[in-house]
Order: sequence, then structure tokens, then C-alpha cells
Amino acid sequence: MDFSDSPDVAAFRAGLRSWLGEHLHSYAEGVGHDSAEAVAATHRWHRALAAAGYVAVSLDAAYGGRGLPDVYEAVVNEELAAAAAPPPPPIGHIAHAVADFADPDLKARVLPGLLGCTESWCQGFSEPGAGSDLAGLSTAATATDDGFVVNGQKIWTSGAMWADRCLLLCRTEPDQPRHRGLSMLVVDMTTPGITRREITLANGSREFAEVFFDDVRVPAENLVGERGQGWKIAQHMLTYERGPADMGWTGRLGNVLAAAQEGVRSGRLPADDVLRRRLAAVAVDAQVLSWHVARSLVDRDPADPGSSGSLDKLLTTRVEQELYAVVGDLAGAAQVVGDQRPFGEYLWSRAQSIYGGTQQIQRQIVAQRLLGLPRG
Amino acid sequence: MQIGLDADQRAFARSCGALAADLAAGWDRGRGPRDVASPEPSEKDWARIAEAGWPALRLREENGGLGASTVDVAVLVEQLGRHALAAPVLGTLVAAEQLQALGAPADTLEEVAAGELRIAPLLDGRLLGFAPAAGGALAWDAAGATLAFAADGSAHALGDALPAADVTRAMRRPGARVDDASLELRAPTDDDRDRLHAFVLTLLVADLLGTMSAGLDAAVEHARSRTQFGKPIGSFQAVQQIAAEDLVSVEATRSALYSSAWAVDALPAAEALRAARVAKAFASRAGVAVCEDVVQLFGGIGMTWESPVHVWLRRAHTDRLSFGDEHHHQAVLADLDLSAGA
Ligand SMILES: Cc1cc2nc3c(=O)[nH]c(=O)nc-3n(C[C@H](O)[C@H](O)[C@H](O)COP(=O)(O)OP(=O)(O)OC[C@H]3O[C@@H](n4cnc5c(N)ncnc54)[C@H](O)[C@@H]3O)c2cc1C
Repeated sequence: MDFSDSPDVAAFRAGLRSWLGEHLHSYAEGVGHDSAEAVAATHRWHRALAAAGYVAVSLDAAYGGRGLPDVYEAVVNEELAAAAAPPPPPIGHIAHAVADFADPDLKARVLPGLLGCTESWCQGFSEPGAGSDLAGLSTAATATDDGFVVNGQKIWTSGAMWADRCLLLCRTEPDQPRHRGLSMLVVDMTTPGITRREITLANGSREFAEVFFDDVRVPAENLVGERGQGWKIAQHMLTYERGPADMGWTGRLGNVLAAAQEGVRSGRLPADDVLRRRLAAVAVDAQVLSWHVARSLVDRDPADPGSSGSLDKLLTTRVEQELYAVVGDLAGAAQVVGDQRPFGEYLWSRAQSIYGGTQQIQRQIVAQRLLGLPRG
Repeated sequence: MQIGLDADQRAFARSCGALAADLAAGWDRGRGPRDVASPEPSEKDWARIAEAGWPALRLREENGGLGASTVDVAVLVEQLGRHALAAPVLGTLVAAEQLQALGAPADTLEEVAAGELRIAPLLDGRLLGFAPAAGGALAWDAAGATLAFAADGSAHALGDALPAADVTRAMRRPGARVDDASLELRAPTDDDRDRLHAFVLTLLVADLLGTMSAGLDAAVEHARSRTQFGKPIGSFQAVQQIAAEDLVSVEATRSALYSSAWAVDALPAAEALRAARVAKAFASRAGVAVCEDVVQLFGGIGMTWESPVHVWLRRAHTDRLSFGDEHHHQAVLADLDLSAGA
């Protein structure tokens, strides 16, 4: 048993720390999603982090990663949180889907842009009629001589308004049983026939959209893996989407916790005994989460990440939702009167139990795949 | 970073589990509270425990022990919890570590290691920590113990077992002072005290982990076999949702245990104690919550004396309160993290 950094991890950590010391101040300002400027600032931050070699560090070096063990993703999160830096880009899921299934040509074409954060991606899975029941989706990609023609509609697509590419889960084999009829395509978002309509989130943030596909032509070489393999790739991708470090959650939560603790210490946030105790309690849970994430990443088999991501996401959900509840209560009346950004963040925390598969769906996965309980 | 048990530790877990299961099989919880068997192992069983080296595990070689790491001891203790072992192994380990930390003479510790001198730790009456002196103290997990030492080195005989929630471990009041057994102990340094405290908290986390995971495994097994409405109850979503959250708690507790067990031997004492407090705060809440869910998932049979379900819940509550429950440690952590100048 050894939770300490190996010399290599320690050197990596020190390098990141000194990079942050030098460069963070030039990027941290204004990062967010609530305006075009904030989105632009976020992209600048992500590109700078990627150029310095701190994005998708566990992915193949040939395509812009660094080929490091998964646990380095946790280190990136820890250090960004410790420096109160904005979180890393949430691309681990898309990056793994492409890196682990696409052919070398497609990887060479699209991964450098994704991992370098010079191109923005979105994930086109959910549809109006297919949320939790994802395999019931109906967006159709009809095979032609040289590729596919896509028709249908996606919804709740994060980042779609500014995305350059979409990883699209669609039905290519309508006569196959539903899980076997799906495929994964990389779609260039400038292709004619794509219409995006912004959807404003409950907190006012403008980060997702619905996307319409009308006779959108996608070349055959943009198929990820094989036809009919879409469900398998989606499962693989969702495992990473649920991994707290792969998506930058642990970094983000550490950041929020540290700010709240500092606020109480300095007296800026008055806290009675009950609030102090609740903050201490959620700090306990957050610490356990970060130990758990480290253990989970050390254990994870890159060839078969399994269903442990669902368990980790449930733990993250507990921590995130309680953390923002406490932070809100620390703000007191300011939570509901005045600057509404903090309330907006609290609202966002309620989405943790919805995106990437709802809390109920994650529990079902844990119960059936990890505990072996029978399907209903 | 190497997080998890190595091959030797996994083999040790298996052998501890096999012996604990065997010993536990001989214990009868009786037909009700007035008929409960004593958690005192027979001479023969205690001899097997001593032969397995459990009382000696943590003592250093110069004290007749095996010098095991905290991770190794935690591996054993998880199995004690898993099998709800009604034998005072945990009490012995805790008392032995306290005496060793306070510089007790090697000949006394050698007798403890060999299983010849049977001792129990003395806790203050609120079970928050080691008792400075015997007045008002409780001997903890003390079945079959002949002596308990207070931190001042005074040795005490022990009275009868008190009524207690936990049916697998006995609490007894210290009685008459035994002068010729009393020891010269040194006052611990802050570091000694913190590390001892971290060690004890970690073992309680291990016992909680074993207890809660035994309960959850049994509940899952039950949910697979018990049918209602023509289906296994484990196929119902409401049942699955409860069990899934319980597995989250169990696995998170395991991560916390590994970290705090590693920290006891690897980090500066104050940091080790901090990690142990975090782990104990988490496990105290999670352990009882999981064991309560287990009662729920068993339905009526889980409320009977005959079923093991209440035995786990009883043990979890005792572990939770011993050396401070989640509220206690949260309050300490709040002072550490949130006070001006911290
Ligand atoms: C902030 C945010 C960002 C998102 N980003 C993306 C994105 O980038 N790309 C993308 O494809 N999608 C995205 N989503 C969509 C998300 O994946 C879906 O919202 C989610 O899978 C749930 O689907 P639904 O909204 O249709 O809800 P529904 O499936 O209708 O669920 C509604 C409620 O019913 C419950 N429920 C449904 N089925 C079951 C069942 N079998 N058992 C028990 N309970 C059940 C759910 O748990 C939930 O509580 C995002 C969502 C949010 C909130």
C-alpha cells in the first residue's frame, strides 16, 4: 500500500505546479459559460493547459496525450484544485471513445484537435424520445455508397453551439435488435443540413442546445470502429464520462471546498456551529472521494474499465450536491438576493445526478453489474 | 502509488478469514438477550488465536511480536468484523499497542504476544479515548481478560460484563487495583499519542468495513433468493437502489481504510491522525447506515434475534461510538480546518 507519489508522479506534479505558478494568472480571469467572452476565456485556458501538456495526459502520446497511467488524471485535478485554477476540459470520455475504437487514420485526423483543445467537440447521444433509455434512439444514419446520410434530432447537447465536431450515436441498422443497430460517427458541425438551437439552462448558462440533422452527409471514413458497434463504444465512453477525474470533477469540487473553508476561516462567511460541522462533514466526504478516485484509477484496466465509473459517479454526486448545498447555506440570504452566480452553481450541482446517466440509472448499473442482482 | 493489497496481504486475508469463520461457527448467540452466549472464547479457541499470532501481530520483535504494518493488522481486523468474531482480538491488539507505545517492559508484552497475559484497553466512560486512570473507565472488548492497564500504568482486575448493545464483545468495569502487576509507563510524546490514536481509529474503520460488507453481502444474497410477487426481491428497483448506494458506501470506506492504514506508518503523526479521523468519521456514518439498510432489505426476519442482522448493527454501533463517532471527529476537523489562523 502506498498512496504517496512515485518519483515520476512527484516530478510531474512539481512541473505542473510550477507551470501554474507562472501561467495561471494570465488565464484564470473570466472563465465560464455564461457569456460569449466567458466561453472564449474557457477555450483559451484549455488551449494553454493542453499546449503545456496537461490535458488528456493518460491518452496516447502519438495523438497529443502523454501516455501516462490513468492516475495522473487525478494528479492534474488535485493540482488545479490546489491552485484554485479552473477545471481541465471535460473531454476524457470523447477522447477515450475515439482513441480506443477509431482506426489510425481517423485518430490521426481528429484526436490532435480534440486533445490540443483547438477544436471543440460535443456528444450527440440524448434525444427527445431517448434519455435514460438511450438504446431507443431514433436518429438514423442511412448507408450510401460513400458514407451515411443522417436525419434526426439530438437534445441537451453540451457545447453544441460552438462545437466543431460531434460524436454522434445513431441508428445504422434499423432491422437489427435495438442495441445492435447503433453506430458512432464523427460529424463535422459545419456540414450542410445541421441546425443548432440554443437551450438556456435553468441557471442561465448557455452551454447546451438541440441539434437537428436534415440529410447530413457523413463520409464513411468518419465511422468510429465498426457498424453496429455503437452501443459498445457508448458504454465505454460513458464509463469515462462517469469517472470523476476524467471529467475534472474532483478538481472542481476541491476548488469550491477550499474557497468555502477559506471564507469561514477569514470570517468573510459567518458560520455557526451547525454550518461549520456540515462543512467539516462534506470535507470528510470530499477527502474520501479523492482517495477513492486514486484507488479506482490505479485499479482501472484501460482495456476494460468496467462499471466502477458508475459507483464513482454516485459518490461524486453525494459530495457535489451536499457541498453546494452547504456553500449555499454559508452564503445565507445572499444565496437568494444579489449576485446570482453562486445560486447558479448550486443549480448546476443538481445536474450531477442527471447527465451521463441519471442517479437512478447508475444505481441500477451498480446493483445489476457490480452486485449481480437480477434484472427486473 | 500502489493502492490495494499485495499478494501476501491477500493470502493473509484469506487465512485470517478462514480461521475467523471457523471460530465464529462455534459461537452461539443464544435465543434472546437473557440467553446470550458469552463472547469469551474457550481455552482451545484462544490457543488457536494465539498460535495464529494475532495478539502478537503488531508488537515489535523485541517485545515478542511479529512487527506487522498497520495495513496487515487492518487486513486481520476487517476479517474479525466480517465474521462478527466473538473473541477479544481487537481489544487485545488495541491494549497491546497502547502498552507498547507507553514503553511497557518487554516481558509483559511478550506474555501478551504469546496469549498468556490477557488484557483489555481501558477507555474513558464516554468511550472517546484511553482512560488516564481507572476511575469511571470501561474495559473495552474485554471478554476473558484478566487485567486492564490505565495510562498511568496501574493494573486492574475486571468485573462482570455489563449489559451492552454488542453481543460479540464484552465491556467490563475495572475493579481492584493489582499492585504487583502495575507497570512504570512513560508519558507519551505528542507524536506517540497521535500515532497510537490513528492506529486505533484505523482498526475501528477496518472492523466497520468488515461488518458492513458482511451485512451487505448477506442482504444481496437474500435479495437474490427471496421471492415475492413471483420474482426475486432483488429484481425490484427500490431494493436495487438501496443496495447500490450501500455498495458505494462500502467501497468508499475501503478506500478510506487503505489510505488511513497506510498513513499510520508512512506519514508524520499529525497527518496520520488527520487521515484516520476522516476515515473514522466516514466509516462511522456509513457503517451504521449500511447495517440499517440491511435490516430493511431482510424484512421481518431481519428483526429477529435468530438472524445475524442485528449482530452486525450492534457491532457497527459500538465501533462507531468507540473513540468518537462522526460528529466527534467532524467537530475536531472543523476546529483544525476552519479556525482563524488554521
Ligand atoms: C447539464 C446537462 C448536460 C447534458 N449534456 C449532454 C450531452 O452533452 N450530450 C447528451 O447526449 N446528453 C446530455 N445530457 C442529457 C442527459 O444525458 C439526460 O438528461 C439523461 O440521460 C436523462 O435523460 P432524460 O433527460 O430524457 O430523462 P428521463 O430518462 O426521462 O428521466 C427522468 C426521470 O426518470 C427516471 N427514470 C427514467 N428511466 C428510469 C428507470 N428505468 N428506472 C428508474 N428511473 C428512471 C430518471 O432517473 C429521472 O429521474 C445532459 C443533461 C444535462 C442536465
